[in-house]
Amino acid sequence: MRTAFRSVTGLVTALVILAGSWTPALAQEWTVGASISLTGTYAKPGKYTQEGYLLCEKDINDKGGLLGRKIRFVVYDDKSDPPTAIKLYEKLITEDKVDLVMGPYSSPVTNAASTVSEKYKKLMMASLAATTSIWERGFKYLFMTISPAEVYLEGLVDLAVERGLKTVAVINEDTLFSKAAAKGTIELAKKKGMQVVFHEAYPKGTTDFSALLIKIKSLNPDVIAAGSYFDDAVATTRQMKELDVNPKMYGVTVGGDLPEFYKLLGKTAEYVYGSSQWEKGLPYPGIKEFVTNYEKMWNREPVYHSAAAYGACQVYAEAIKRAGSLDSDKLRAELLKIKMKTIFGDYQVDERGFQVAHKMVLHQWQDAKKVTVWPAAVSEGKPLYPTPPWQRR
Amino acid sequence: MTTVHITGSMLLQLVVSGLLAGGLYALVALGLSLIFGVMRVINVAHGTLLMLGAYTTYWLFTLTGLNPFVSLVVSMPVLFVVGVVLQRLFVHRVVEAPELSSLLLTFGISIFIANVAMLAWSADYRSVEFLTGSFLLGPIALSKPRLVSFVVALGLTGLAFLFLHRTKTGKAIRATSQHRDVAQVCGINVRRIDLITFGLGAGLAGAGGSLVSVMFAVYPEMGQVYVFKSFLVIVLGGAGNYPGAFFGGLLLGLVEGLASLFLTAQLSEVIAYVLLVIVLLVRPTGLLGGRT
Amino acid sequence: MTARAGVLAFLLVAVAGLAVVPLFASGYHVTFIIQVFMWMALAGSWNLISGFTGYVSFGHVAFFGVGAYTGALLITKAGWHWLPAGVAGAAPAAALALVIGYPCLRLKGPYFAIAMLGLNEVVRALVSYFEGFTGGGSGLSLPPILSIAPVYYAMGGTAAAVTLLTYRIITSQFGLRLLSIREDEVAAEVMGINTARLKLYAFLLSAAFPGIVGGFYAWYASHVEPLSVFPLLTTITMIIMCLFGGKGTVFGPVLGAGLLSVFQELVWARFLFVHQAIFGALIVGVVLLIPRGILGVLQQRYQLPRSI
Repeated sequence: MRTAFRSVTGLVTALVILAGSWTPALAQEWTVGASISLTGTYAKPGKYTQEGYLLCEKDINDKGGLLGRKIRFVVYDDKSDPPTAIKLYEKLITEDKVDLVMGPYSSPVTNAASTVSEKYKKLMMASLAATTSIWERGFKYLFMTISPAEVYLEGLVDLAVERGLKTVAVINEDTLFSKAAAKGTIELAKKKGMQVVFHEAYPKGTTDFSALLIKIKSLNPDVIAAGSYFDDAVATTRQMKELDVNPKMYGVTVGGDLPEFYKLLGKTAEYVYGSSQWEKGLPYPGIKEFVTNYEKMWNREPVYHSAAAYGACQVYAEAIKRAGSLDSDKLRAELLKIKMKTIFGDYQVDERGFQVAHKMVLHQWQDAKKVTVWPAAVSEGKPLYPTPPWQRR
Repeated sequence: MTTVHITGSMLLQLVVSGLLAGGLYALVALGLSLIFGVMRVINVAHGTLLMLGAYTTYWLFTLTGLNPFVSLVVSMPVLFVVGVVLQRLFVHRVVEAPELSSLLLTFGISIFIANVAMLAWSADYRSVEFLTGSFLLGPIALSKPRLVSFVVALGLTGLAFLFLHRTKTGKAIRATSQHRDVAQVCGINVRRIDLITFGLGAGLAGAGGSLVSVMFAVYPEMGQVYVFKSFLVIVLGGAGNYPGAFFGGLLLGLVEGLASLFLTAQLSEVIAYVLLVIVLLVRPTGLLGGRT
Repeated sequence: MTARAGVLAFLLVAVAGLAVVPLFASGYHVTFIIQVFMWMALAGSWNLISGFTGYVSFGHVAFFGVGAYTGALLITKAGWHWLPAGVAGAAPAAALALVIGYPCLRLKGPYFAIAMLGLNEVVRALVSYFEGFTGGGSGLSLPPILSIAPVYYAMGGTAAAVTLLTYRIITSQFGLRLLSIREDEVAAEVMGINTARLKLYAFLLSAAFPGIVGGFYAWYASHVEPLSVFPLLTTITMIIMCLFGGKGTVFGPVLGAGLLSVFQELVWARFLFVHQAIFGALIVGVVLLIPRGILGVLQQRYQLPRSI
């Protein structure tokens, strides 16, 4: 009992000492606050996002900073958890008193975090939120960078229609972004005359897709479109092979574009279509330097998350230069007006702050490489069509 | 949207897939059931031990190219040792305590290990691309990795039963789980039996992990889903009833498969729970009988 | 009597001090204390069933989640003010407790814990499934809150109410009977105590408050979704806070929630990647070293009254 008591008093003392040293850091430069999912479900794309931000910080500082001061990112880990992000943005804004805020990774986290920035009238440049409903809440200080979820698989539907395909099955993870992607795909497919023969959502964390895929197999659709994040995209692809499900085209929203997708699946990933906000071979200004600098800084290739984070940061910096101030209302006025092309592509928003100019691309895994196959204007090659049945690969 | 017509072959396919999954549940749950039977400890860390088994196989496969099924001869002993160490250091202190202590203790151990694993190996999803694809039998696709894993799981479960029934230690484990005090009076060193049981349970979880790794992604939190499934299995089969755990596993696999065929993936979880509550209330000793 | 007066005076000063915090503290500190209040109320609620009767509710977050959805639905679909909407969260939470508690409180030992764990999974699955009503996996978005001070008082009031109720129970015959269930249920029954009914009452009370907390939380977080309002970790956190402070006591949950929140905040801010591992180690430490909690240890050591 004596030990127990001593450990209690010890702990309490430690807490008191720690609490005493609990003071915010002072800023000598412009600080830019953001929470990023460094752990948890979104850790992988979250890391890419952070790398994009940090490269942007370096590039801006190398060019002399903004309005005469250097910038510095203050990043916390939100554990891929929206309520944690709320607390972190409260901390960033009221405690660390950051000068600017940028968005976290993913729609659910941005959805939550933006309520805080809006409350404090801090302008949030959301770099990686693609869900339309986030911009239907009437927020004034929230700006979008990437194309909305609804058009992620526009390319897949387009290519399918071109080839006279008639039926599509849609599945999605039951979360904000994936649901919107599936909904958008269904609407696009219907509009273009395709028949949606199947749609079902599965809970986040599902690992066994047998029942879902068996149902789809019985309907034998021409196309399977999956509103996925990374892990479920990998699992469905593998299990399609195991259950011998053979659509003529199969595309996934997120996950299919990451190098790890191929690394994990190997040859099983061949012929799979993946949508992407960005590819490093696209003809955007400054993209070559970006790719070189990125590889130098992080020792790996950038993916679209990195580019979107960087591009959002570029747009934000441009707005600050034009406004000559960090005042949210002035920045807002500029961001509503700006039309520009960053390394990430086009930027232009409507009166809600909703992205209207940026274009998606669709790629296909061919011989261990991602080949952009849509839209025609930027494509690097022809899609390999139709996807051969698993037994003949 | 056209409706899915459930045909005989789909049903058969789902029954097969369900049983294949169920064999694995049975193996994993047997480990949990042993620990619960002997010590009345609900080991919430069981899924984390499974994760460690999966990583053992993953690293052996990635670094040395060792066949994942052969790697069982490493993962099981490794996890046995991990289990013995956990028992010796922590779990033995809560064996006689109210269930809250053991629930929380093993949960604490679980998130500790899972997060250390995350630090050591990152949260990245990894996979053991060893066997992919399937054998086609008419309209039925038999997934190669799942089929082989199922067979291995059955084999290991069989070996565990042989051990429990034929060896002196195995008999002592069963005696302890039937009546701890009487076993002690009869000269069984229950502390030692506890140690062996926890090691064995952990070893079985590790084996489950090795087998899971050839089917699904390997990552630090991969074990969580198996914990609740294992609870279900031991409730269905009857706590401390070891053959019950086996049939409970197969039953759970079937129920899950069929529920997600006739309903949706989301509702299959609800069905499994309703089954759990009904069994608990109507036959608290499990469908096959067991201790209360 | 003087000790009692001293305690009362201390409490009054503490409450008065907390009441004026939103007037000068930063938004971050206010949100932090809101969360501490939230945990105090949750840990205190769990204490009412599990601390007193020994029945381990391992799915207590289900009541919180149900309350959160009730609040969110009443605010977004029925246009209610957040305060009554939050309080209304108590009703469905208590109703759920009645439906599930009536059969399941007969289960002994670990089986009750397993059933409760499952309950939470099921409620979450059902909420996801009925997406026309609940928004499914995308959840429901509420208007952003412009002032957090009212939420601060609401959450603080709930925490105070739970604590006051616990005090009333512990000093009543009802409380003594509940404790007798924890010590020896069969003996309690033999003595003529209607244990089934008492357990159910305690369970209803312990479910109603998380419902209210959930309702306020929905407004505070501006967004509810299945993954954020039904996590197992929330149940574990309320349990460990209650245990750390001292289960079956009045101020144990308050103390546990306060200390552990501060601890988590500091550890979390400083050790980004290991905070969860530290939390795991902390759980193990509390269970093995101070299973009676701080107040339990103090009570035994200094023969303090039971009603602290």
